[in-house]
Amino acid sequence: MAKRPHALLLKYPGTNCDAETSRALEAVGFETQVLPIALLEPHALDNTQLVVFSGGFSYGDYVMSGRFAKLNTLAKVGDGLQQFVSRGGHVLGICNGFQILTQLHLLPEGSLIHNTSGRFICRWAGLKKNASSPYLQGLPDEFELPVAHAEGRFVGIDDAAGEYVQNGRAALLYTSDVNGSSQQIAGLQDETGRVFGLMPHPERFLFKKHHYDPDWNGDADHGWGYYMFKSVREAV
Amino acid sequence: MPDPTPKAVYRHVPISGLSGDELLALSQRSKLSLSREDMLAVQAIFKAENREPTDVELEVIAQTWSEHCKHRIFGSRIEHTVDGQSEVVDGLFKTYIKQVTERIIAKKPDFVLSAFTDNAGFVKLDDELAVCLKVETHNHPSAIEPYAGANTGLGGVIRDILGAGKGAKPIASLDVFCFGPPDTQQEDILAKDVIHPLGVMRGVVRGVRDYGNRMGIPTTSGAIQFDDTYIYNPLVFCGTMGVIPIKDIQKEVKPGHVLIAAGGRTGRDGLKGATFSSVSLTTASHEEDQTAVQIGNPIEEKKVADFILAARAKGLIQFVTDCGAGGFSSAAGEMLSETGGEVWLENAPLKAPDLESWQVFISESQERMVIAIEEKDLPEMQKLADIYETELCVLAKADGTGILKVKHHGEMVCELDCRKLHEAPRRHFKTEWQNVDADEEGCYISFEEPEAGNEMLKAVLSDFAIVSREPIIREYDHEVQGNTFLKPLAGATGDAPQDGSVIRVDGSNQLVALGLSLLPELGKTHPHLMGRACVDECIRQLVAMGANPDRIAILDNFCLGNPDDAYELGALVETTKGMAQSAEIYGAPFVSGKDSFYNYFKTDEGPISIPCTLLVSGFGVVEEASHVVGSSLRKVGSKLFLLGQLASGLAGSVFARMVMQGSEDPEEDGLVFPNAPEFDEQTAFETYKNYFQLVQKGAVLSAHDISEGGLAVTLAEMAFSGKAGIKVNLGDIPTTVELQPAEYLFGETPACVVFEVAPEHAALAESLGFTAIGETTADGQLVIIDDENTFINASISELKPLWQNGLTPYY
Repeated sequence: MAKRPHALLLKYPGTNCDAETSRALEAVGFETQVLPIALLEPHALDNTQLVVFSGGFSYGDYVMSGRFAKLNTLAKVGDGLQQFVSRGGHVLGICNGFQILTQLHLLPEGSLIHNTSGRFICRWAGLKKNASSPYLQGLPDEFELPVAHAEGRFVGIDDAAGEYVQNGRAALLYTSDVNGSSQQIAGLQDETGRVFGLMPHPERFLFKKHHYDPDWNGDADHGWGYYMFKSVREAV
Repeated sequence: MPDPTPKAVYRHVPISGLSGDELLALSQRSKLSLSREDMLAVQAIFKAENREPTDVELEVIAQTWSEHCKHRIFGSRIEHTVDGQSEVVDGLFKTYIKQVTERIIAKKPDFVLSAFTDNAGFVKLDDELAVCLKVETHNHPSAIEPYAGANTGLGGVIRDILGAGKGAKPIASLDVFCFGPPDTQQEDILAKDVIHPLGVMRGVVRGVRDYGNRMGIPTTSGAIQFDDTYIYNPLVFCGTMGVIPIKDIQKEVKPGHVLIAAGGRTGRDGLKGATFSSVSLTTASHEEDQTAVQIGNPIEEKKVADFILAARAKGLIQFVTDCGAGGFSSAAGEMLSETGGEVWLENAPLKAPDLESWQVFISESQERMVIAIEEKDLPEMQKLADIYETELCVLAKADGTGILKVKHHGEMVCELDCRKLHEAPRRHFKTEWQNVDADEEGCYISFEEPEAGNEMLKAVLSDFAIVSREPIIREYDHEVQGNTFLKPLAGATGDAPQDGSVIRVDGSNQLVALGLSLLPELGKTHPHLMGRACVDECIRQLVAMGANPDRIAILDNFCLGNPDDAYELGALVETTKGMAQSAEIYGAPFVSGKDSFYNYFKTDEGPISIPCTLLVSGFGVVEEASHVVGSSLRKVGSKLFLLGQLASGLAGSVFARMVMQGSEDPEEDGLVFPNAPEFDEQTAFETYKNYFQLVQKGAVLSAHDISEGGLAVTLAEMAFSGKAGIKVNLGDIPTTVELQPAEYLFGETPACVVFEVAPEHAALAESLGFTAIGETTADGQLVIIDDENTFINASISELKPLWQNGLTPYY
């Protein structure tokens, strides 16, 4: 049997979706290591195939979401993540992880700011694929995932958002307005397709029983989130 | 960060020569909240030692003996008089909570693993894991500073769970609030500086949101009651459920153990919170007691939580508890209560300069935990603390002397015999309760006009008691940890109400359902029935969601106004007795509980008390994921069944309250509702067990309890799933006596559940004694008829927005 690929999940003070994200990664065949940021050293990136930034409130997100996580990550590994990606490494950021990747400039320029409602929202959202991405290949054109965030509204300078929809960087869109995000952007990928960030939580829809409707079928054996992680596994 | 205090700051307080009056004046001046009798007992302790106490010692005794920490009213001797008949209650807690639980444990071994001894009681989930639940109130702080009060209320109960056993993992939270009505007019508020209910509600919800979400603990269950009596004293209940390996429940401090404090630093916030909670509020409280409210920092707590769970997994923890009310004094005091030991205050990291010794020892600064370890494990603990970026210090050492010695820079600032410290004088009370006259007839409300039923249902669905809590639920992350299998909102569009929530537990095939009940309106006139009905409703919700009726444990949280008022305390005793009666018959042990007194406010026009308020919360084991049952209709063409029998009486119902509020003088207009619906626990429990058989066979598609708003609201809420309409014939409904239409439609009889089964399982349901009352339909209407009349015929799509948007304008 082939050796399982390795996933490294970075845990900051305030990261809180690490357990369920590990569960999802393990379910699709990753060997997963949760690494508290205090233990992060540059060589930690040498022996992994996937670096994961999971949901939560890194350092409380009292300043701008992901800001402190970015500063501390840079202090630990400098441009190590950029090098990891150029070596062919894969990176996934979910919710707060998406915010951190955006801060780290590993994803197309832009910001994730407070929802137009000014409130935290916890609900399920309809999503549609806008461009091909290895991270979404196992999913249908439209599907659903839960969202839970206060700062999930993507904004870019000038019409960056429109551009990302055109050129396929905006790989994932909401089917309706959820948080005021420009062009209803829900997830972005970089030009290599190996770095992907999204606000929705695929790890919360691993099992069919995760769905709010007990009669949900979706013609699938698992929840849609499972198929997203499965796609990540295949991409790696 | 400021330097540690350079030296001990304390003084001796001369009390040996003071009279009773002077002692009481000292207690009031120093905000010790100790009575004259307590102060005399304190005086005697120090006279026996032939010395004067230090201010540190007085503060330690005050917090240890405070109602908040010691629950002395539940331990007191009460001469209780009902309708002229007197009896002596030798301790409410002992008689009606502890002994009831002990009898249940004796009958049902191997379920409760601990009760009343730890921060929270544990029950067995499977051979490896146990679950616990704890609910706390944070009423006074939330009245004065809603955001911070609720924020630290949740933070505090989460620490209770982290300090349960050798550190349980928090897996879900619940929040229950009692507020003044959102549409209260400012000029109707009788005291200045009282925060308007809207301000309280928004602040409290955001406080819970910001703590729970940042901790990554799903807030999955809750309730809100609105009533004028809560304008001055809002109630905020926060609860958290935890899970732990069974082997890590037992804990013990032994001589030689080192006590370390981990987490946040110590400052001036939260001084005297325990004693502040043990008196009533006044306008002056809003000005003077701000320092009693703590300041929360959830990330600090998240770090210490990760640290504790990692340390427990490595087997490094011998004992752990949280710094709650009373701070180090209560945590170290509790841990050293058997062994005694020495505390070194100068080691505690501070966040404010120039703290006096007593302030360091009793500060309720948040996010601090105290952990007993073997001295050899200190380096390993320090390493983990560095990894999780939390601060720790060596606070104390257990020494086996039985004496609590507190030193500050080498000076002994407190030296107390642990035994004397925990022996507060017993209190005595008298009560007086008068039951309503059971022979009095209630009024008859006619539903003969064709639209009357529809209009009444619309009004009830729009009432604050019934409307959807969706705007609030959406602000809480109720899905973090990825284990919320029954969510607070579900149905075809994920926005229909449920009876509670069901949480999957990592590492187990069994799940846990969370339920809760409070019925303060009923308790205003029928406290004994309220106690029974709260226990029943909580258990009924758990059973409806698929829990095994034999594997349910419950908690009691009481809030009362003035315990020195014979009538108010009488209602509390009646409530407690009712609660105990039902719990014993259902075999549901109490595993934790808490009480909060002095929820009254001295306005210029006299004191205003809350009604006696009981929250019963509970958790039940759902043995398989396939047993989970939601409250939203699933299919067209199903049969609807009723579990239970409807009874006569409308007292305490939302309907009765609305009818009375619609009249200038209800009594003059003949709008009286003296009687409340009765039920029988023995019968009810048999039906719950029969229902569970249907659950095990996979026959129940959906189920919803009959609670506030009655049958009509239950049916409407089931239909809000968006999948089917409903047709029900009242003539098919079993009743105890002949009922008037209002009692059928809007009566709130306990022990009743409506459930949906597929036609092929209808015969099975009938064979177990359940009665078919109607079916689910394709026409999108809610239709309730009897053989002659149509009482309700309304479109679900017209009803749902009234219910769904009722709170939106206010939140």
